[in-house]
Amino acid sequence: MSDDSELTRCTTEAARYRQMFEHSTDMLSRHTATPEWIYIDVSPACEKLLGYKPEELIGTSSYEQIHPEDADNLKQRAESVIYRQGIYTNVHRIKHKDGYYVWFETTSRTIRDDQGTPKEIICVSRDVSEREIAEQATRRLARVVEASSDMIMFCNHDDQIITYMNESCLSTFEFPGFPDLEINLCSLFNPNDYKDVIKPALETAGKTGKWLGSIQMQLPHPINDNKHAEVREIIGHHNRNKSDSPEVEYYTLIARDITEQKLAEKQANIQQQEITHMSRYLSVGEMATGLAHELNQPMAAIINYCRGTKRRLKDTSTFNDEVVTEAMVLIDKQAKRASEIIKRLRSFVRKNDSIQTLFSINKSCQNVCDFLSQEAKNNGISFEYDFGKSLPHLYADKIQIEQVLLNIIRNSIEAYNHTHKALRPVAVTTEYNSGHIQITITDTAGGISEEEQQSVFEPFQTSKSYGLGMGLPISRTIIENHSGQIWVESDGVTGTEFKIRLPVEEKS
Amino acid sequence: MILPDQSTVFIIDDDDGFRESVHWLLQAENISTCGYSSARTFIETYNNETGCILLDVRMPDINGLAALKLIREKNINMPVIMISGHGDIPIAVRAMKQGAQDFIEKPFDDEHLIRVINQCLCQAGEISEHESQLASVQRHFESLSRREKEVMQLVVSGLSNKEVAETLEISPKTVEVHRSRVMRKMDCDNLAILVKKSALLKN
Repeated sequence: MSDDSELTRCTTEAARYRQMFEHSTDMLSRHTATPEWIYIDVSPACEKLLGYKPEELIGTSSYEQIHPEDADNLKQRAESVIYRQGIYTNVHRIKHKDGYYVWFETTSRTIRDDQGTPKEIICVSRDVSEREIAEQATRRLARVVEASSDMIMFCNHDDQIITYMNESCLSTFEFPGFPDLEINLCSLFNPNDYKDVIKPALETAGKTGKWLGSIQMQLPHPINDNKHAEVREIIGHHNRNKSDSPEVEYYTLIARDITEQKLAEKQANIQQQEITHMSRYLSVGEMATGLAHELNQPMAAIINYCRGTKRRLKDTSTFNDEVVTEAMVLIDKQAKRASEIIKRLRSFVRKNDSIQTLFSINKSCQNVCDFLSQEAKNNGISFEYDFGKSLPHLYADKIQIEQVLLNIIRNSIEAYNHTHKALRPVAVTTEYNSGHIQITITDTAGGISEEEQQSVFEPFQTSKSYGLGMGLPISRTIIENHSGQIWVESDGVTGTEFKIRLPVEEKS
Repeated sequence: MILPDQSTVFIIDDDDGFRESVHWLLQAENISTCGYSSARTFIETYNNETGCILLDVRMPDINGLAALKLIREKNINMPVIMISGHGDIPIAVRAMKQGAQDFIEKPFDDEHLIRVINQCLCQAGEISEHESQLASVQRHFESLSRREKEVMQLVVSGLSNKEVAETLEISPKTVEVHRSRVMRKMDCDNLAILVKKSALLKN
């Protein structure tokens, strides 16, 4: 090959490179290997990208034009810098002639002489503003997903492998980081729930884009003891590239850790029950007192009318039929008033219809004794339990039954008030025989006479100065409403036994 | 038993039915009654009649105890019988300490009520008699001249006419005149009556 042809070839090639250099939409530039990165040469694309003509840029510092926040990216090996085989790729902002910043992705390479001393730097830059803005939005979105208090997971469509879990999700599962082991979606649910609920939910999300509901998740042992989570939403994402028949590419599952909520609900429930319990107990007492006072008015009036009429009867000179008629009308009016009061009471009682539930009588006895523990302590009482093993559950109004137990156990505690005994046991025994549960409450406070045993369940029989004598009659009514019996046994010397017998409902 | 004319039992109770029944009962004994549904209406309409008060412990607005206090503050000196329902005994006891004459529990025995009412009406009669007597004595006393009052005070303290004359530095004859005028004006037949009336004034 002759030198000429070699020269021609080189010239042609140089012209071609020049052409490429001049017409490239990317900005090609050469810089000094100094910290200022002074432009030695720059392709005309700079005018379109940065608003400067090449001659305006040549001789100026490229470093000066970089956004102050990005200027030291290379030095600091910032996240935006990628280094591969002597080539740096950096995303940074450069100031446009008009004052705003343009996102550049610049690939740079240092040219060195034979001794390895940097001679100059060659850069290829392109405007990635649009991409960068889009990516920024994506990054922000990702941060929202990552930081969300909801548990968010991505799950493949075909193999249903979980590909992503956000921070909240990892924390609920108590994973230190996203696990190396593959997690299949089905392992997060009870097998039946997965088959009956999750699969159709995924199908719906695939078809309509979204599924809403709540499915309990099965958390791994042992955290499932005290943690609860529910899937609330599933979003189906379609592969947009295959526009002819869009397929589901993956799913987003949004779940919520409901441990706190469950705990709060549980507490609220317990409180509510206690309130109901107390208020019912109070309302029986208050109602009885109020009733006593209200009934007293018409009763007192009726007595006055009767006595007044009787006195008139003595004086035959002034007495006549009209007086009797008048008295009857007046008495009638008061008697009607009394019956109205009773009617109102009846409708009040009916409003509190009993709620039947299955419950353990042993637990109820324990509850009531716990409730009375302070009272027992103050009175030097010791509870003794003898609970029957594996008793069937009782189907009854739990609150009413506990009310009866409370009343009788409290009576037993108070029975010791009249004694000077050092040992003050109150024994609570439960047993099951021939379809009945029997509860026995025993005290050793001296017992009650046979005569008293006859009358304790009659209204207004009380040995307490402050009592109304309604506790045992109400207890009897409750037990009888449950088709049970309540009775008392005592030898009149050592102690008293109250016995309650309740039928256990046959499961049909 | 002799009761003063026109003595009335004032029944203060918010329960209309009960008030009317007491009226019916007392009417059989020819005891006149007057009912009020609250202590306020009673105090507003009361006009120095004689009698006694039946006061219910449990009342809305002003309860029995407060009503008793109010009645006493208005200088109504009639005997008060408190009526209490079941369980109001402690309140009734407090009412007794605050000057109620008696208390009875509702519903009550008619014999007992009528006995208590009669006692109270007698007491009221005495009070009213005492009050009217006092009023007339006071009226008589006010009609005395200054000198006559001086003579009266010395006479009832047990001084003789002569001693009175010496104390007041006037003649025994003048004392005699003053003394007879005092006896006439004070409507007294003898010294014993004058002493009694003078004692009444001091109370």
